[in-house]
Amino acid sequence: MISRVADHCFWFGRYLERAESSARLLNATRSLVFDADIPVKHCWPPLVIVSGEEQGFVERYDRESLGNGELVQEYMTWSRENLVSIASSVRAARECARSLRDQLSLDTWEEINELYLWFGRESTSQLYWDHREAFYKHIRRGTQLILGLVRSTMLHEEPMLFLWFGAMIERAGQTPRILDMHHHTMEREAAMFGSRAGAPASAHDIVQTALWMSLLRACSGSEAFMKKNQGRVTAHTMVEFLLMSREFPRSLNYCLRSSLTLLRQIWPDPAPGRASIQTLAELIAWLEAETDQEEFELAEIHRILTHVVDQTALVCAQVSEEIQGPKTARLSLSEAQPGERAAGNAQLQSQG
Amino acid sequence: MNNVLQVAADAKSGLFDSYSPLAGAYDETIAVDGKPRAHARRVHAMLNALSAREFSRYQSLAELSLYNQGVTFSVYSDKQGTEKIFPICLAPRVIGAAEWAKVEAGLAQRIAALNRFLDDMYGEQKILKQGVIPADLVLAAKQYEPKLRGIQPAGGVRIPISGIDLIRGPDGVFRVLEDNVRTPSGVSYVVENRLVTKRVFRDSVAMTNVRQVEQYPMELAQTLRAIAPKDAEEDELTMVVLTPGIYNSAYFEHSFLARHMGISLVEPSDLFVEDDTVYVRTIHGPRRVHVIYRRIDDAYLDPEFFRPDSLLGVAGLMRAYASGRVTLANAPGNGIADDKAVYPFVPDMIRYYLGEECALPQVETFVCAREGDKKYVVDHLELLVVKAVDEAGGYGMLMGPQSTAREREEFRTRILAEPRKYIAQHRIELSTCPTWIPAQETLAPRRVDLRPFILTRPDGSWVLPGGLTRVALVEGSYVVNSSQGGGSKDTWVERENGT
Repeated sequence: MISRVADHCFWFGRYLERAESSARLLNATRSLVFDADIPVKHCWPPLVIVSGEEQGFVERYDRESLGNGELVQEYMTWSRENLVSIASSVRAARECARSLRDQLSLDTWEEINELYLWFGRESTSQLYWDHREAFYKHIRRGTQLILGLVRSTMLHEEPMLFLWFGAMIERAGQTPRILDMHHHTMEREAAMFGSRAGAPASAHDIVQTALWMSLLRACSGSEAFMKKNQGRVTAHTMVEFLLMSREFPRSLNYCLRSSLTLLRQIWPDPAPGRASIQTLAELIAWLEAETDQEEFELAEIHRILTHVVDQTALVCAQVSEEIQGPKTARLSLSEAQPGERAAGNAQLQSQG
Repeated sequence: MNNVLQVAADAKSGLFDSYSPLAGAYDETIAVDGKPRAHARRVHAMLNALSAREFSRYQSLAELSLYNQGVTFSVYSDKQGTEKIFPICLAPRVIGAAEWAKVEAGLAQRIAALNRFLDDMYGEQKILKQGVIPADLVLAAKQYEPKLRGIQPAGGVRIPISGIDLIRGPDGVFRVLEDNVRTPSGVSYVVENRLVTKRVFRDSVAMTNVRQVEQYPMELAQTLRAIAPKDAEEDELTMVVLTPGIYNSAYFEHSFLARHMGISLVEPSDLFVEDDTVYVRTIHGPRRVHVIYRRIDDAYLDPEFFRPDSLLGVAGLMRAYASGRVTLANAPGNGIADDKAVYPFVPDMIRYYLGEECALPQVETFVCAREGDKKYVVDHLELLVVKAVDEAGGYGMLMGPQSTAREREEFRTRILAEPRKYIAQHRIELSTCPTWIPAQETLAPRRVDLRPFILTRPDGSWVLPGGLTRVALVEGSYVVNSSQGGGSKDTWVERENGT
């Protein structure tokens, strides 16, 4: 498989997953505003922050506007300046797909093209204003359909493996972000509770629970979670589920393990220089050791998530490099120099 | 009661009811007596059975399907990177079997001569030495690349892929208007148009007598295989399509061909050269490439060879080519064979190399480099179509009969300054074909040309039955280029003589 094509497959998967994840997160935050007794202005800033777009947003608008739900939605959905907005992700995915026309199945190509064309239609901006939920749902359906078609209509060979690896590693980065949003929101809340002396502790718990539920919805996990925990919504059960579940396909552990399996399928005999597989295996082992405790502190989770996000970024960079292969036909893989090529235009951002 | 039936019959009027051919032009479907031509009878009946409303619906469905599938070309002048579909008119153009057989033979002959000409030009240049073609004219051409002299292409064929533009004058005779032996495009639209047309007219008996075009990619793959370097093992042969990338206007076609041949589509940065061998970077390490169907102009192939200032291309590619370790299809330097200034001499070439008379006539051409021709041209600009020899795609052209005095004056100055750069032809009244006019919901005559595609191996040529019919959709227009408001039609070559 040609290196550039592998790279584009990888990014195609990532952009699709990213678009879906953003649509989910935006819609979940919209309902959080209704569900929880949290000031609206505290609900929206974390969404921009965990996307790594705080600086861009503040430059475009101002710091105050981080609490403005409409502006945040517009920026995260439509903005062309914002490289991780849904519109940018869909456009970038379609660009990749265009350069992958000879690799993708016709069904897959037609759907990504359709989603891209849909985005540009006037009726679509009308839908955005008239029926926001249906709008985000359409994006989620479109991206899910494409990822499903990839698996059901393409040869399960390298292009599909890279594409799916891209989707899984992106999801592995998104779930920690969603969890980290909780951390940011709680910080703001804690500051508020601190200033409101004498507020009953139970109010804090209710807010906590509403937040957790909203985050579960953000990764389509509320029903799956309940099946496993029958109503026990605590920080512990929640983190256990979102980080470590081996069955929930959006848990961090699940995504990292799937990514590792895919990489091992792509490179069954890792050459000594194949660092990505090594890094990923170590990260999974580290994560299991770190979370093998009775109680989690919020601050601990933030530390863990930061490390996970950093390490997945490292894996992505290593894969991008290894995709390029050795620079010359004379050198064997083990002697190859690391590529000088940048991995792409929108790396995972560390929130440390 | 009778009256009611009468009204119902009138409501279902045929598409050809109000069709009248353009005076002075050959109509591809309707003969001078107003009746359909023999080979077009079935298509005429098929179309005439449709109401304007039905046709219009089919037409929109066809366009939507092309758009949704991304069968588009990019428009360079548009900064937004807009993609457009190449408009298709569903009313097909039909060519009779006997007539096509003549065209086929003429094309094969022409390509054989052009191949020989290129071998000669980059070899001994006998044709110049013997004065058959004026040496100064050819050697001064921008498209002639002296650095390529003495290099033998690996597969032995310099023009494996070509597209020859034909037009038909009022006398109904097909004539060659232009040769394209560098990187002719449009064949993907031929195949896609057929797919769309088939979906709409699949039940029509007219379709049963049409020769297939879908096999083109397979034929192309076989052609590329046949010209692989000698040292390549058949079962480990790596063939690729080389594209400049997704922003190229013909990118759809590049990916289409790669997809349908089942070979990789690569960009220059995917390739590198080591020890005069071309490699493609893969995730499992470098892999040798044997045959490159390149859709990149000569100038951007190899910065070492053509343009030291260019960052594009594959450094060292021409070294690999010269050593016979890789086949480039088409061969570099071919531009001299389809140069507009060389075109007038093709019948002489055919006579010189093949000892045959030119089977497919061509358009009488005035070469401004010749003193007499130049004088005639500048004195008769209002009658002539003037073309700059180094331009393509309908740019750099003067349509004399439709030009303003100012435009003519401008061209007169340019021609006198650089006569070598210009040729001129009398405007040919292009043949017309019944074409759907959406605004009027009816068929009207519009001018067409035809670009057949020819694949050539060491053992001979294969001509795709039909080719790309381009149509000038604008009333009165003669310009069929997609970049300037042209559309296309499916071209049906009859399997056997019409009934």
